[in-house]
Amino acid sequence: MPANADSQGDSGQADPPVDSIVGTADDGIVRELGHDDFDPVGTLVLVLIYMAILIGMWVFMYFVEFLGRGLTVVG
Amino acid sequence: MATASGGDEFVDKFPDEAAIIKASFLIAFVSLGIGAFFGLIQALHRTNVFRVIDSADYYTVLTGHGVLLAIVFTIFFLCGVFHWAVARSLDRPAESALFSWAWVGLMTTGAVLATVAILGGFVPNLGMSADVLFTFYAPLQAHPIFYIGLAMFIVGTWLAGADWFLSYRAWRQEHPDERIPLQTFMVLTTMIMWYISTLGVAVSVVFFLIPWSLGLIESVNPLLTRTLFWYFGHPIVYFWLMPAYLLWYTVLPKLAGGRLFSDPLARVVFVLFLLLSTPVGIHHQYLDPGIAEGFKFIAMTNTMFLLLPSLLTAFTVVASVEHGARQRGGEGYLRWLGALPWRDPAFTGMALAGAMFAAGGFSGMINAGMNINYLIHNTLWVPGHFHLTVGTAVALTMMAGSYWLVPQVTGRKLYSRPIGLLQVIMWFVGMVFMSNAMHRAGLAGIPRRTAEPQYQNFEFLTPIGSIFELRVQIALGGTLLFLSVVLFLFNILLTSLGEESDRPVDSYLPEPLSGPEGSPRILDNLTMWTGIAAVLVVLAYTLPLAGIIQNGGGLFGGGLPVPATVSAGVDLVLTTVTSAFNTLWGVVA
Ligand code: HEM
Ligand SMILES: [Cu+2]
Repeated sequence: MPANADSQGDSGQADPPVDSIVGTADDGIVRELGHDDFDPVGTLVLVLIYMAILIGMWVFMYFVEFLGRGLTVVG
Repeated sequence: MATASGGDEFVDKFPDEAAIIKASFLIAFVSLGIGAFFGLIQALHRTNVFRVIDSADYYTVLTGHGVLLAIVFTIFFLCGVFHWAVARSLDRPAESALFSWAWVGLMTTGAVLATVAILGGFVPNLGMSADVLFTFYAPLQAHPIFYIGLAMFIVGTWLAGADWFLSYRAWRQEHPDERIPLQTFMVLTTMIMWYISTLGVAVSVVFFLIPWSLGLIESVNPLLTRTLFWYFGHPIVYFWLMPAYLLWYTVLPKLAGGRLFSDPLARVVFVLFLLLSTPVGIHHQYLDPGIAEGFKFIAMTNTMFLLLPSLLTAFTVVASVEHGARQRGGEGYLRWLGALPWRDPAFTGMALAGAMFAAGGFSGMINAGMNINYLIHNTLWVPGHFHLTVGTAVALTMMAGSYWLVPQVTGRKLYSRPIGLLQVIMWFVGMVFMSNAMHRAGLAGIPRRTAEPQYQNFEFLTPIGSIFELRVQIALGGTLLFLSVVLFLFNILLTSLGEESDRPVDSYLPEPLSGPEGSPRILDNLTMWTGIAAVLVVLAYTLPLAGIIQNGGGLFGGGLPVPATVSAGVDLVLTTVTSAFNTLWGVVA
C-alpha cells in the first residue's frame, strides 16, 4: 500500500490511497481562495498566447495560400 | 445493489438512475469500439498503407463510422450524463423508472435498426444498404429501415428530454422560489435547443426520405432535404458539445482542485447557445447552388456571433482551473500549470480535450468564412477540423469523464489510473498526427470521403513536407487512436468487473465561487428564451426555405436546383415575408 492510506472511512476500514482515486487532487489545498482574493492573471496570459497563435496562423495561411501561388482565381 | 460505502455514492442513492446510465454508457461504448475500428480501416485504406476491404465498400464503412460515432456514441453517452446531472443536481430520482427505460429501449431499437441497415451494405445479396453517410440527405438513398431507425432514435431522445423536464416540474412544485440548479439548467436549455433543431430533420425524414425510400413518392427536392439536414446539422454540433461543456463547467474545476469561477456566466453561455445555434446551418451550404448569396452572408454573420459564448467558456473554464492550481500552491504567470493534477486521467483527458478544442477554433473560423471556405470545402481539412472538435473535445472529454462517472454509477474503483492516463495521452498524440496531416492534406486539395485519393497522372502538391509524409501521419495517428480506444474499453470493462469499493471515487462537487444569487432571475425564464430562439429560427429560415422550394421545383421537385439570386421567385418570397410578418405580429400582439 502506498504511503498516504491513513484516512479512515465511516465504516472503519482504511480508504484507498488518495492518489489512486479519480477526482482527488494529489496534494491538499494549501490556501483557500475566495472570489475576491482570486485574480485570474494566468488565464489572461493563456488567452493572449492563444490570440497570438491565431493571428500567426492567419498570416501563415495568407502567405501559403495566396502569396505563394499566382492569382489562381483569375489565371 | 448497495455498496459497502453506506449510501453516499450515486449508485446507492439512485440505483434505478444508475442502471439507466450504465445501460446508456454500455451502448455508447460498444458503438465507440465498432466505430473506432471502422476509423482505423479508413485511415489505413485511403492512405494506401494497408487495405482489407474492397474500395467499393468504403462508403459502408464510412457511414458506419460517422453514424456510430457522431450519432450513437455521443448521444447515448450524453443521455447518460444528463440523466446523472439531473438526478444529482435536483437530488431526486426520475418520476418513473419505466418511462426512463422506455426511451433507452426506443433509442436502442432505433440505433440497432439503423446499424443493421448500414452493415447490410457488406452483403450485396441482402438488397439492404444505407451508404448515405451520416449526412443522410438526398440524392443518396438508404433502405427505409435506416430512416425508420433514425426516426425512432430521435423520438427516443425527445422522450429522454421529457423525462428530465418532468423531473424538473416535480422539483419546481416543491421548490417554487429556488434558482434552477446549474446542471439541470444546462440540461434543459440544451434539450430545448434539441427540440427546436430536430424538428427540421424529423420533417425531412418523415415527410420526404421515408416515403421516397418506400417508393411512395417518386422524387424529393434534394436541396430541401439538404437544408433541413443542416438546419439540424449545425445545432447537433452543440448537442455534442453541451455535455462536454457541462463536464468542463461543473466537474473539471473540482478535478483541478478548485471551484467554478462564475455560475451566472455559465448560464449566460448556455442561453446564448440556445439562441444562436440553430439559425446558422446554412453556413454548411456556402457552395450549394439554389440558395442566394445574401442568406449565406446572414448565416455567416450569425456564425461569428457564436464565437462569443465559446470565448466566454474558454475564459470561465480556464479561470476555474487556474483557481484550483493556485489553491494548491501554484504561482506565477504560467508556473501554476505545474500545480495541476496531471496524473489524474479524468483531469488530464479533459484538459487535453480543451486544448485541442482551442486548436479546432482556428480551423473552424476558416470553415465559417464564406470566401475562404472555398479553399477547403469537401477536402480532408474538414474531417481534420471535426476530429479536433467532436472527435476530441467531445469524445475525449466523454472518455475522461467516464473515469470519474463510471465509478459513481457502478460503485467500483477505476481499474487502472496509469492506463487511463496513457490512454488519454495516446488519443492526444494520435490526434495531433492525424488531424494536422488532414488539415494540410486538405490545403493540398486532397478530397474527403474517397477510398482512392491517389489519382493517376495527377499529383497533389504541398507547400511544406510531402504527400507521403502526410499519409504516414494519418495512418500512424489513426492507429494510435484505435489503440487508445482499445485501452479505454479494456479499462472500463475491468472496472465494471471489479469488486465494489468503499470509496470508489471522490464525487463531491464544490459550490461555485460566485453563485446564482446575484444574477438576474430572467436567466431562468426558459419559456421566454424558447420564444426568442423560435423567432430567430423563423427569421433565419423562412425566406431561404421559400426560395429553395421555388427554385427546386416545389416540395417534391426532382429537377436539379438552379443557381439562385435574391430576385428569383420574388413573388413567393414577398408573400412569405408578409405572412411571416403577420404570424410574428400575431405572436407579439
Ligand atoms: C479511432 C479513432 C478514429 C479514426 C482512426 C478516425 C478516422 C477517420 C478518417 C480517416 C475519416 C475520413 C474518411 C474520409 O473522408 O475518407 C473519418 C471521418 C469521420 N470521422 Fe473519424 N476517426 C476516429 C474517431 C472519430 C470520432 C471519435 C468521431 C466522432 C465522435 C469521428 C467522426 C467522424 C465523422 C463524422 C467522419 C465523417 C464521415 C463522413 O464523411 O460522412 N471519428 N474518421
Ligand atoms: Cu456548422
